[in-house]
Parts: sequence; C-alpha cells; structure tokens
Amino acid sequence: MLPGRILLAGLRRSASAASSVAQSPKNMCYWDRVIWSSRYFHSASDNAFSEGGSKAKELPDPFALIKDEVSEVTDRLRSMVVAEIPELTSTAGYFFRAGAEGKRTCPTVLLLMASAISTDMSDPIVGLENKPRARHMRVAEITEMIHISNLIHDDVLDNADTRRGMDSLNFTVGKKLAVLAGDFLLFRAFSAAVALDNTEVVSLLATAVNNLVTGELMQLTITPAQRCSMDYYLQKTYYKTAALISNSCKAVAVLSGQTTEVQDLAYQYGRHLGIAYQLIDDILDFTGTSASLGKASFSDINQGIVTAPILFAMEEFPQLREIVEQGFDDPSNVDVVLKYLQKSQGIERTRLLAAEHAKLAAAAIDDLPASEDPVVLSSRQALKDLTQKFLRRTK
Amino acid sequence: MSWRWALARRVAKLAATDGGGGAQAQRLLPTSSAAAGTGLLGRLHMPLASQIRSKVVGCRGAALVSSRWLHDAQYQVRQDGASRAQEQQDPFELVADELSLLANRLRSMVAAEVPKLASAAEYFFKVGAEGKRFRPTVLLLMASALKFPLSESTEGGVLSILADKLRTRQQNIAEITEMIHVASLLHDDVLDDADTRRGVSSLNLIMGNKLSVLAGDFLLSRACVALAALGNTEVVSLMATAVEHLVTGETMQISTSREQRRSMEYYLQKTYYKTASLISNSCKAVAILAGHTAEVSMLAYEYGRNLGLAFQLIDDVLDFTGTSASLGKGSLSDIRHGIITAPMLYAIEEFPQLQEVVDRGFDNPANIEIALDYLRKSRGIERTKELAREHADRAVKAIESLPDSDDEDVLTSRRALIDITERVITRTK
Repeated sequence: MLPGRILLAGLRRSASAASSVAQSPKNMCYWDRVIWSSRYFHSASDNAFSEGGSKAKELPDPFALIKDEVSEVTDRLRSMVVAEIPELTSTAGYFFRAGAEGKRTCPTVLLLMASAISTDMSDPIVGLENKPRARHMRVAEITEMIHISNLIHDDVLDNADTRRGMDSLNFTVGKKLAVLAGDFLLFRAFSAAVALDNTEVVSLLATAVNNLVTGELMQLTITPAQRCSMDYYLQKTYYKTAALISNSCKAVAVLSGQTTEVQDLAYQYGRHLGIAYQLIDDILDFTGTSASLGKASFSDINQGIVTAPILFAMEEFPQLREIVEQGFDDPSNVDVVLKYLQKSQGIERTRLLAAEHAKLAAAAIDDLPASEDPVVLSSRQALKDLTQKFLRRTK
Repeated sequence: MSWRWALARRVAKLAATDGGGGAQAQRLLPTSSAAAGTGLLGRLHMPLASQIRSKVVGCRGAALVSSRWLHDAQYQVRQDGASRAQEQQDPFELVADELSLLANRLRSMVAAEVPKLASAAEYFFKVGAEGKRFRPTVLLLMASALKFPLSESTEGGVLSILADKLRTRQQNIAEITEMIHVASLLHDDVLDDADTRRGVSSLNLIMGNKLSVLAGDFLLSRACVALAALGNTEVVSLMATAVEHLVTGETMQISTSREQRRSMEYYLQKTYYKTASLISNSCKAVAILAGHTAEVSMLAYEYGRNLGLAFQLIDDVLDFTGTSASLGKGSLSDIRHGIITAPMLYAIEEFPQLQEVVDRGFDNPANIEIALDYLRKSRGIERTKELAREHADRAVKAIESLPDSDDEDVLTSRRALIDITERVITRTK
C-alpha cells in the first residue's frame, strides 16, 4: 500500500513541474489556433483519406491539435481536487498525477467540440480573458472528474487491481478510501458545474451521472434473459459509456448559446462516438493483450459480462444461448464460448457496427451549420478523424 | 453512530403512524403525566388528523393543528418561566403527516429503471427502519419557524400558492438531505463491515458489498438530479459542501494518526464534519430557499450545527452508558473500533497515564476495562454532558434570535425546535 505521503508528494511534484514548463497563454489566442489548425488541416487534406479508412497514410493526431489546452485542464484538475485533508487530496488526485492522466479523451473531445460549433467571429483578436473558452474548459474539467470518479468506483466494484497500466486506487489505498475519493470527486464536479450558473448544463451533467449509475446497475442485476439481449446490451452501453460524453457535448453547445439543432447534433456526435468506442473496446477484450490494454484481457467474459461479439455469435449459433444463460461461473463455459466466437462472424460484425456508429458521428459533424473559419473547420475535421482513430486502435 | 438510530427509531414509531394512529402517540421521555396525557391527546388528535390528512399539510393545515395544540396543551416556553406546561406535546407529531408525504415521494423518486435498486434504496426508508426521519423533522420545523407572515391569503390565492411552492421546495431539501445521509451510511457500511445498523441487518450483509456501493451512488446521483431541479446555486453549493464534509469526516476517522487521536480539537472537527455539517447546511439551505437574509440563514445554520454536535456528544456518552438492546449496536462499539470520543479525551486530560493505555489500542479487551476504569474515576462523562448542554443552549439561542413573529405556526415550530434540543440532551437511549 502506497503511503499517502508519497502519493501527495507525487501530486505536488507534477503540479510544480507543470508550472515550471514554458507558459502557454491562459487560453491560446485566436491567431495561434489558426496557425495550429492550418497545419492540421493541411496534413489532413494531404491524406488520401476515405471513409473506409486509408491504410496507406497516417492520420494526423486529433489529440495533438488541442493538447496544450488539455494539459491546462489537467493542471487545473490537480488544484481543483485539493481537499481539507491531505489523505483525501492524494486519493482524489491519484489519476491526475503526471503520467497517470490517461488519454484524456473526454477533455479532448469537448474542447474540439467547443471549437467546432463556435460561431463567434465578431471579435477575432481575443484578449487574455477568453471567457466562453474558459467555461468550456470548465465543462471539460467537470466531465473528466465525473469520469474519474466513475472509474474509481468501477474498480472497487470489479475488484480491479490495475488501471491504466498501474495499480488501481483501491489496490493502493483500499476500498474504503477509494469509495470516498469517488464520492468527493463527484461532488466537487457537481459544485463546479453549479458555479457555471446554467441550470440546463447542471441538469445535463446530473442526468449523465445518474445514467452512469443506472448502467452499472443494469450490469450488476442482469438476468439470464437480459444477458442475451442485444437491446439491453446497447442500452447499458449507452448509459455506461456514451451518456457522459454525449451530455457533456450537449452542455458545451448549450453554454455556447447554440440552437437546439446544434445542441442535438453535438449530443448525437457524443453518443455515437461513445458507443463506437465501447464496441471496439469489447473487441479488444478478446483480441488485445494485457500489455497493450493496461488491464487484463478476457476480463469481460471472465466476469460474466456478455458483449457484442458474443451476442452476434449467438445469432449464428443458437446453441450458444443456453451456455450464456448459464453464466460463467464455470470456467469451461468460457472456453466453449470463445471457441464459438472464433468460428463465428461475431468480431467482424461488431467492427461493422462500430464503423456504422463512427459514420453517424461524422455525419453529425457534417450537419453542423456551414462555417469558413479555419479553426472551426480543422476542429470538425479532428472530430471526424477521432472517430476513425477509435476504430483503428489496438489498445 | 448510534444517535442516528437511537432517537430516530423513536421518531419512526411516531412518523410511521398516520395522524389517525396518533392515538398511540408515544413519548420520547416518560413523564409522570404521560399516561393521562396520551389518552387526552389521542382523542383530540384523531379528528384533526383526518381533516388534514388528505391535503398537503400547508400553512393552513399546520396552523390548524398548532392552534389546537396551543389551546389544548399549553406549551412551556423556556424563557418565560411563567406558565408551566401541563404536558409536553411531541414536536415530531407536528410534522408527522408531512413526513409521511415525504416518505411516499421518496419511494417513488427512488423507483429507478432498475427495479432491484429500488428495493435496495428503499430499504432504509421502509417502515421499521424509518428511524432516519430525525433530520427531515428538524428541517420541516425549521421551514415553518422561518415562515414570513402571510398578509392577505385566501385559499388558492397567489400568496398561498407561492407559499405552497416554497414549502414543496423545502420538503425537497429534506428529501435530498435524507438521500445524502442514507448514501453515506451505505458507503459507511461497506467500510465498517457493520453487522447490524439500526437494529436490523445492514444492507451490506443482505445484498452484498457491490450493491451497497451502487445503491449509495444511486442515491447520491438522484440527490444531484433533485438539487439541479431546485435551480438555486447557493443551495447546491451548501449541499455539495455537506457531502464533502461527510467524506472528509469519514476519511479523518479512518486515517487518524496517533497524535490526532489525542486531540479534542481534531475530534470536534471530525464530529462536525461527520454529524453536524449535513444538518447545519440543510437548515441553512431551507432558510435560503425562503429568501431570508444572510443573518437569518446563519442562525438556521447555527441551530443545526449546535444541535448536531450536542447530539453526537450525547451519543458518545450513551455508547459508554447505554445498553445494547436500546442502541441497536453493541455498546462500547466506539472504543472497540478504536474510536476515541469526547469522554475518553476528557479523561485523558485528567489522567495522562490513560494516554498510554489508549495508544496500546483496544484489541485486547483487558485494555478496554482499564480505560473504562479511568473513565469512571474521571469527570469525562460529566464534562461531555456539559459540553453538550453548552451546544444545546447555543442552538436555543439561535432560535431565540430569529426575527420576531406573531404567527402561531411559526411560534409553535420554534418552540418545537427548542424542545428538540432539550430532548437531545436528556435522552437516556
């Protein structure tokens, strides 16, 4: 068990390291972003990139476009979780330490979305206090905190030992403190949301939190019949994975004062992106390795969680249904199911479904109101590239 | 801690019964006139309750009850020693109907898409385990105590509609507070491996660790949704702070270092976080929803804070002096879990050698005996009671400092709140 002091020292170290790095302006000023985005845009258009996925050329990295701002988000997160007592600060900040932050997909998507829907051309030279941008960054921070809070509780529930390639929080400090840290993060996030002074945004985020819990519950209380249902699985997946990002995308649109149509498009993007992400995740649980995943593979099925590939396989091999209904307490059942899966088209069909959702996500972006602003355009491109990137990931 | 269910289980018996069952009105404290009083009050209560049961207990309903109350049971006001009460009406009775309403609303709010969860979360709101209604009682009384006078309000008039709307929002605070409280207990249960809580097998035992964590999460997320619906940022801030404090207090308890265990200051801080913060912040929230000034809101806060502290201190005393049958948890449970409370801390001040005993820990029951010996010799228990009395007095002062009002309902509620502080410190179980 890692003593709290060491955790806290790690937190302090990373915070001070970040501040000693070359200062980027509080918010990248407009013209800097134009320069950045034009680089991105050119490299994007250089690629002979089609919907089917070009194998020949590398996609530009959508994460790169916005990584400075995302770093700012992480830095700020470290200070946002400072509690009255050091033990709580260190546990709550566990996943915000340098090197522990993960891919930070949530903030990346949200900040890109904020740029993608921006229609404010009236004041191109933005001063140091780009207020709307600051509020979007708040949403990114809040979403990340909710996300981490959820991860922490998930690990407690699953008794997971590792997360992101390192010890899980509950492994490090025990279930007790992990559960408490999760609660703390959740309400810190909620307070920050309320400080935005927009009741619709608060509502959206509260809904997302509620959905997360519902999704987890659907998992925990699943009956044998529900285990075999694709509808149930997709609903649960929406709640567990897509609800947060879709509601936060919508929140970003609401904060920008966008129309309900744009809000809905932002929501749809988040929703389809989230589902696509999870479907690929489900595939990787069968095809990836512990090394590449940062967590155990075959963990879903070993925990008795039936995912899309198996559900598709069940459509081809009805005899599989009986075994699935029995559950997976008996490890030989796992082997049987895996054999069927290999014979079936389960993995391929899941990949196709993921591609379908990726396409829908990209379509939502395409439906956004036209714009000529280079920053807006490159952000939209980045969002679309992100969907493809998810489809291709191997970890 | 045991105070939550000790007093509150009494409340459960009261609150769980409808107004019609008020004939069974039980006393929290046995008084000599109890036997005579019950019958009298019971008879009086029945017609009243049936009148108002079908309606929301709004201002008028409450005024009806309280005016009969005043006439039929002269209530002793602490500061005017002039009139002696013939008998003391139970302050919890005053809001019993409203509480039933809340319970029903909570039950339907808790009915989620996942039915299994509904049964899990309902567990603590069910009859029998409904002890957890102490907080809502205080909050509802506080709401009444802070009512602005209504000038001309006809039934259904604009002012009375607004008043009803406010009352609903204040009721929501009570519900939210209860959800947060139960959620923290559920998460607590995961931590403490408590076998029994409130005299019934804990949820943890019955439904497993996972479901407890999730049920707690569910309640917290529902509380978030309900808070968002109130649309008042200050109120949300207060409740979020309360949750943070709950978490902080529990963390303090788990990760207490040796030096911190000796410190009365640390103990009182932890006690505030774990016990008083929730009730104080929700009292303040009730005041803020009503649009009161910062001063009045602070008075509400002070009442809640001091009441909570007084309650916990007496709870600590009872953990030493009570009996297990009445506490629902084995007594001496604090010390057995290595939790050093106020009486012991005071005893250590008098007998420094007790510190060594405490440091050795209490895995060895012989050590417990030694510590108890010192405690008996010391004034630990007395001093704790004195401190509790001090806090109770401050709570009373807060109520007395509220802006004057002529409204009978307001005055009755304020007296009830004062009465509660008295009951808190004089309870024996």
